[in-house]
Amino acid sequence: MGCSLNKSVAEELIVAYAARTLDAHTEADFERHLDSCARCRELAAQQRAVWSVLEEWHPLPVSPDFDRKLAQRIAHTKPSGWWLHLFRIWSWRPLVPVAAACTVLLFAFFLKNDDRASAPAPASQSRVRIEQQVEHALDDMDMLKQIGVDVSGVKPRSSQKI
Amino acid sequence: MNSDGMNSIAAQPSWDRRVNNGEAAQRLLDGDAELMLRVREGDEACFTALLERHRNAVIHFLYRMVLNQAVAEELAQDVFLRVYRFRRNYEPRAKFTTWLFRIATHLGLNWIRDEWHEKTKESLDQEQDGATRQVRDRSRTVEQEMVYQVRLREVRQAIKTLPSKQRAAVMMHKYEELGYAEIADVLRCSESAVKSLLFRAYESLRMRLAHMA
Repeated sequence: MGCSLNKSVAEELIVAYAARTLDAHTEADFERHLDSCARCRELAAQQRAVWSVLEEWHPLPVSPDFDRKLAQRIAHTKPSGWWLHLFRIWSWRPLVPVAAACTVLLFAFFLKNDDRASAPAPASQSRVRIEQQVEHALDDMDMLKQIGVDVSGVKPRSSQKI
Repeated sequence: MNSDGMNSIAAQPSWDRRVNNGEAAQRLLDGDAELMLRVREGDEACFTALLERHRNAVIHFLYRMVLNQAVAEELAQDVFLRVYRFRRNYEPRAKFTTWLFRIATHLGLNWIRDEWHEKTKESLDQEQDGATRQVRDRSRTVEQEMVYQVRLREVRQAIKTLPSKQRAAVMMHKYEELGYAEIADVLRCSESAVKSLLFRAYESLRMRLAHMA
């Protein structure tokens, strides 16, 4: 006669029965099922036997210096300087994008100023330069007059036309 | 109860509730999260308390996974080191033990995979895996001790033949007494997948160890 239980349910019950983790009510129900199902009975008995065999595998004692070695490794992971400690503080991390944004803005500001500085001189500046040249020319003529040179025939330079 | 009734009972999540995993376990787990939160705030004494509480479980789990005591202790140190390093990011979303065993399983499976690829596995027969350091139980006679060692070797050999994920599931279920839900959380799969994984693993063990029963 075949098993009346769903395959996956039967598997689950057999494992739990072997592990003795079924509650009393379900275990009693399952044992009633085992009375009528030879296949489940055999599997359950063998699984319990395997479970007992696995019980024999005891763990080994832990080395007495386990904690000391771990403490040493942890000590090596700690930051050595106060600045490293500050750098690792989690609360600094939200400031990183703000700092990046400020850097970009500063860079853009300096770039703009630099452009302004290297731009060609405006017309007012060139006018001032021409006036200075005219003044220098007039000073030169005064100086030549003082030393007796006739400057009446000297044609004015192009800059003096302005 | 008829078989339909049994099917419906089995389908309920509460039917396999462990007898001893009641309120005490919940308190313990809550205590773990509380300790870890204090570690996050910089209380190193709480880390020591967590280490005291879970050191043996993690080492024993890893020993049964990698079948080598020295490697297990090395990996366990990596586990606790990671817990310490990630303390500032800790959020008590899941049970602390789930997180802990997830790290341990990850490291254990990686080690098994690397060892498999390197083909540098030590022979179990050479007894270089830490088994020889096992303290002899003085209550056993020499003959009993020899029989015990032979049986132990067969158990270890049977465990070693399991696929690594099945091995991890069996170790958590059999020896660490984790429930299906927690094992599923650790292995990042569904509970039904864990149940299927465990049944297949125990069936493999049954076939290999039947003669010892």
